[in-house]
Amino acid sequence: MLVSKRSLLCAGLAAAALVAVGSANAQDKIAYPHKVVTLVTHSSAGGGSDVFLRDMTGYLKKIIDADFVVENVTGGSGAKAMAHMAKQKPDGSVFYATTPTYIYTSHMSELSADYTALEPLVNVFYDPEVIYTRADAPFKTLADVVAKAKSERSAWGAANPGSLERVTLEKLKKLTGVNAAIVTSEGGGETMVNVLNGTLDIAIGELQELRSQLEGKQVRVLAVLSEKPLPQLVGVPTAKEGGVDLVVQKFRGLASPKGLSAEAAKAWDAAIPRLLADPEYKAKYEAAGLVPAFMPHSEAVTFTSKFADEQKAILTEVGITKKK
Amino acid sequence: MDAILTSIEMLGTTLIVPMAILGMVWGIFGGALPGISPAITMALLLPFTYTMDPIPALVLLTSTYVGAEYGGSIPAILIRTPGTNASAATMIDGYEMKKQGRAGEALGISLQASSVGNFVGIFCVILFTAPLSQLALAFKPTTYFALGILGLSVIVSVSEGSIFKGIIAALIGLMIATIGTDPVTGVGRFTYGNADLLTGVPIILVMVGLFAVGEILEQIATKTDWSTVSDHVTRLKWPSWQVQKDTAKSNLIGSVIGVFCGIMPGAGGTVASFMSYSEARRFSKTPEKFGKGSEEGVAAPECANNADAGVGLIPLLSFGIPASNSTSVLLGGFLIHGLVPGPVLFNKDPTLLYGLFTGLLVASVALIPAAYMTLSASIWLVNRPKRYLFAFIAALVFSGAYSINNSAFDLGLVLAAGILGFGMRFFGMPMLPIILSLVLGYMIEANYRRSLVISGGDNAIFLEDPIAVAFFILSALFLAGSLVREFRERRGNKVKAGAAA
Repeated sequence: MLVSKRSLLCAGLAAAALVAVGSANAQDKIAYPHKVVTLVTHSSAGGGSDVFLRDMTGYLKKIIDADFVVENVTGGSGAKAMAHMAKQKPDGSVFYATTPTYIYTSHMSELSADYTALEPLVNVFYDPEVIYTRADAPFKTLADVVAKAKSERSAWGAANPGSLERVTLEKLKKLTGVNAAIVTSEGGGETMVNVLNGTLDIAIGELQELRSQLEGKQVRVLAVLSEKPLPQLVGVPTAKEGGVDLVVQKFRGLASPKGLSAEAAKAWDAAIPRLLADPEYKAKYEAAGLVPAFMPHSEAVTFTSKFADEQKAILTEVGITKKK
Repeated sequence: MDAILTSIEMLGTTLIVPMAILGMVWGIFGGALPGISPAITMALLLPFTYTMDPIPALVLLTSTYVGAEYGGSIPAILIRTPGTNASAATMIDGYEMKKQGRAGEALGISLQASSVGNFVGIFCVILFTAPLSQLALAFKPTTYFALGILGLSVIVSVSEGSIFKGIIAALIGLMIATIGTDPVTGVGRFTYGNADLLTGVPIILVMVGLFAVGEILEQIATKTDWSTVSDHVTRLKWPSWQVQKDTAKSNLIGSVIGVFCGIMPGAGGTVASFMSYSEARRFSKTPEKFGKGSEEGVAAPECANNADAGVGLIPLLSFGIPASNSTSVLLGGFLIHGLVPGPVLFNKDPTLLYGLFTGLLVASVALIPAAYMTLSASIWLVNRPKRYLFAFIAALVFSGAYSINNSAFDLGLVLAAGILGFGMRFFGMPMLPIILSLVLGYMIEANYRRSLVISGGDNAIFLEDPIAVAFFILSALFLAGSLVREFRERRGNKVKAGAAA
């Protein structure tokens, strides 16, 4: 019973991948050095990166001449997945779904294998982060929130303690020079409850986490933390437009074990722009609130190392981690 | 009326019925395997739901959820190893009944109580989702802290007679709960560079080690007649009318507490089952039977954790907020089909909701035949000669612990917990306080510190939350009540002993 559960799972994944593929035009496909590509995520089935991979692979199969299998290596906020990846070959047969989480986990804890054991392959999306409050809150703009926090102690919420979201709020606090308590929880659910019941004035979250509450008009977005306003949120300004220079780049991409083969990198560099242009896929990811942000291999490498250094500096600056 | 007609029509036209039964059977299996939690049982099915229509997929997942919550009581009663956190309380009297050769009866009571809990939970979801969801919003970090304290006040009741040893056990549990990621700073603590410890020590593995491995070690260490069969009853026994009357009060207590705990995102079935065990004992006509094979002691926690499971769907359906690991997986199941649960979804597409409810009702009815099919075989299995039984349990437990994450580290954890369990048995320490404090430790610490972050270090914030204050008062009353009862019982025993001498 127990032994077969895993093989059942694999069979299920394979079946899911097969059905999602549909009809494909063989001549168009980009040649690839491997028949099967394994995509590893630290998300459990149904979690953020898991859904990202499973949605993407259905359309990728029409573009790259290979089969894709998603493998969930959960535990330790990516620590176990990184350790797993460090042992794989960098020949393009296995990749890891990246988000800022793996950088954070590397910074916050002592690990046998951290983000430096991996080499970014490409970046695909940004997950736009927004500042939101409950629908009947007295705040209409980010400036109102800051004004309140200047006059009295306020509470702002972020989903996880060691996360990009938490650090972003710390940054906001610093930029505006206010007195706000940053309250964290495990996962977005509790934070949402505390925004709805007024314990928290505002919270930060990914647009896609808020879909249900936005549809139900339970929450209101005050500011978008990206460079440009979002097409999904008409009339909501960016933080920059609201006078606070705060931009968050919560990326979603892929990374290989260090020493990636040039052939594989070239194939992916060609494939991702085509993937993002697929009209069916486009409708799907736009509805989910994702912003396409393709970066080819070379750019993804420099972006990631710059991002990691910046975050390390901020973590030390706001006192979450100590200087080493 | 339309809703009922739509639902009846769906029974014939969609795959609701087979999916509900399939989910229920799979759930019972997953819940019954020590080390596999309901959330994992559900997650294993997720890939199969990709290609299904939304309604059968969701019915399959929710039925699995309900089935797994029930299934946990089977090993709790038969081999003294709870299959789920929430079934730890069922184990106390369930295993005592098994030792007295009343396994079939205990399983029958737990089945009946679970069914009662299921129906209560599902009817609450169907009828009261809107008003109860407003209540869910009243819970702040201060409230959760107070709820955790209320949960801990039950320790005296589950200390099996030795309060002092119970408190030590609870402290061990609290210490284990501090391993992992710090709830406020997010930095790893007591992890010693080990990535496996970053997410904390999984309670389910500790439980499997403490009970199953501890029991195996003890059996090896003590002189046992390895060839004996403990009892010969191999049939599930549905509780008689008299037993049903006797356990009605426990079922009522279990339902009320289960519904209450279910509404609060994050409180979970463990608190519900432990509290109803304690309360059932308080209100019982025969409290002295608790811990020695009381029918009520089996019924109350089982009823509570199933009611809790049903009501736990309310925060998910009304706000899109998952209340537990299991409901997070269910949320994943919605998202896979491009559905975002929440108020708008079900106004826009009520058939989805009717389908889900119909499926849950079908699953609850299907629980009884499904249990009849699986339980008699299980009872037969645990009545094999002990040497086979314990070898089988060892194989089951270790392969189960390994298969969740394919991690050898988890095996080490189970073994370490087993040695701890053996040591505790040696010193006659009760083990349930460890489970309780392990479940509540993180919740208490995290919410205490979060409250202080909000108030800037001022403890007065707890007094500003009326629900928290009510919980504190209740905890004090419970604690005083249990202490008085313990001392009375003890004095009573001494007097009896004196009279006998």
